[in-house]
Amino acid sequence: MHSVGICGSDVHYWQHGRIGDFVVKEPMVLGHEASGTVVKVGSGVTHLKPGDRVAIEPGVPREVDEFCKSGRYNLSPTIFFCATPPDDGNLCRYYKHSASYCYKLPDNVTFEEGALIEPLSVGIHACKRAGVTLGSKVFVSGSGPIGLVNVIIAKMMGAASVVVTDISASRLQKAKEVGADFIVQVKNETPQEVASKVESVLGCMPEITVECTGVQACIQAGIYATRSGGTLVLVGLGPEMVTVPIVNAAVREVDIRGIFRYCNTWPVAIALLASKRINVKPLVTHRFPLEKALEAFETTKRGEGVKVMLKCDPNDQNP
Amino acid sequence: CVNTSLAFGTQEVLLRMHSVGICGSDVHYWQHGRIGDFVVKEPMVLGHEASGTVVKVGSGVTHLKPGDRVAIEPGVPREVDEFCKSGRYNLSPTIFFCATPPDDGNLCRYYKHSASYCYKLPDNVTFEEGALIEPLSVGIHACKRAGVTLGSKVFVSGSGPIGLVNVIIAKMMGAASVVVTDISASRLQKAKEVGADFIVQVKNETPQEVASKVESVLGCMPEITVECTGVQACIQAGIYATRSGGTLVLVGLGPEMVTVPIVNAAVREVDIRGIFRYCNTWPVAIALLASKRINVKPLVTHRFPLEKALEAFETTKRGEGVKVMLKCDPNDQNP
Repeated sequence: MHSVGICGSDVHYWQHGRIGDFVVKEPMVLGHEASGTVVKVGSGVTHLKPGDRVAIEPGVPREVDEFCKSGRYNLSPTIFFCATPPDDGNLCRYYKHSASYCYKLPDNVTFEEGALIEPLSVGIHACKRAGVTLGSKVFVSGSGPIGLVNVIIAKMMGAASVVVTDISASRLQKAKEVGADFIVQVKNETPQEVASKVESVLGCMPEITVECTGVQACIQAGIYATRSGGTLVLVGLGPEMVTVPIVNAAVREVDIRGIFRYCNTWPVAIALLASKRINVKPLVTHRFPLEKALEAFETTKRGEGVKVMLKCDPNDQNP
Repeated sequence: CVNTSLAFGTQEVLLRMHSVGICGSDVHYWQHGRIGDFVVKEPMVLGHEASGTVVKVGSGVTHLKPGDRVAIEPGVPREVDEFCKSGRYNLSPTIFFCATPPDDGNLCRYYKHSASYCYKLPDNVTFEEGALIEPLSVGIHACKRAGVTLGSKVFVSGSGPIGLVNVIIAKMMGAASVVVTDISASRLQKAKEVGADFIVQVKNETPQEVASKVESVLGCMPEITVECTGVQACIQAGIYATRSGGTLVLVGLGPEMVTVPIVNAAVREVDIRGIFRYCNTWPVAIALLASKRINVKPLVTHRFPLEKALEAFETTKRGEGVKVMLKCDPNDQNP
């Protein structure tokens, strides 16, 4: 292993021992945003060889069910997934994985860019399900790492303008840095007021809202803000039950679509990174060697920076 | 008619009304004076599920002539906005719509309408079938937005008129099996009559229990749920019941705010899609009716002449039968 990013879910399992129905019952290795170098291949592997630098897709289906056969393997109920109990993650020195879910990195893509493909994939899958396309007006709710990748991907898909909301001014600055056209800091506004502000800065209602916080009031704002006939994608996860103006969405044909991780995104992300048309490097704000993992997790837990990278190869701590 | 001005546009037609069905929304405006933000502030003619005969055409009308029997699409956009240009004219904010205040409906002897939204009925399609195109359109639009296709397993929640049209359309679109739930055994019998494969009467079950029963009778989780009641517990059941990667369509309207397990839907990629009326459904419905491959006649359970409109509305209000038809032509009270 070379570089592994820390995700909010890693921190959550560490602190709370569970996310929904996924409960940590035995010690579990964390980490699922990763890249490394092939040192050995199984006898049936033909597309990779020792020395190849790869990005790792953490979700590997265990059976060829209807979800897999129809291309939506992310929904396969028995899927293996790094750092979702009881499956171990890849925050370690050496790790083995299905070869079909390791993707060779071109020479001009760094290990850290490779590790960032995982969070980027959340953005790719969300923007795809949202139907972001040429000319789209997009509202991204929340400016943490997930909001940021959605900004990057939405612009890359041809969105005309992207507006981002958050309670934190510094997080919004990062959104501007990665390409947001408008930023709106929110504080005590009602959901309808937030929707109004969004429409006001964009000059129209967005056809697409990508909700990245999971906060009930933000989901409500997302419903009010989205243009009739548009789509609200729910990326952020919050409480199981939420109270929402569902009739408002329903009678305006605002579709509500959640995402569960991603599928078929690594080849897209690699092509994008190799083309140099997107810049994800600003997302990495902290680096720690693996020996300082605890400090890295504490930093992430405090909400500092954007993406904290753990460097797992003592002989190569480069990006 | 309350509106006696029959000043005539070049793109309009004048119709002698024949058959008009009564919808729950008509009853609701009559009893409550409003639905959501639509408030009745002045007397308003009801009725929007209708058919009639052309008696006069505007000078610019070429596709219709006097004597033509037509079905009427009640929603007519007033401006060519982005919704219209992209084919989703039902979402046009300034759209005219029969019997949605302040727009008058077509429950009268004579009525004028945009010619582009009147569709000629083939000889083998009755006036009443023509009037039924409106509720049928709700089913067509809902099943389209739901993605019903060949082999689909569909759960229809609610067996009133809207549930029934969804059963008919889902089967017509090639659904492999359709299961319907309702609290009423008699309503469920009607669902069986129009083609439901399975019926499940529900009473006090939790939403999760309903979802479980649905999966149990179908043999698998449905990819598609069409929720036709608007009741919160039913929306919850619809979320729990729908297979991962599938779609829940909300047709029934209920309270503005509902409490739902939205994360359950989100993390299983169960899409939640509402509908607002319909668009581009009349030609589809007419072709279907002309082909004789669907039978909507069982839906009409009561008929009243226009003079007995109040009795007709009282009957609908009591929840009797399925579709109550008002017959507006004193010289032709046939179906």
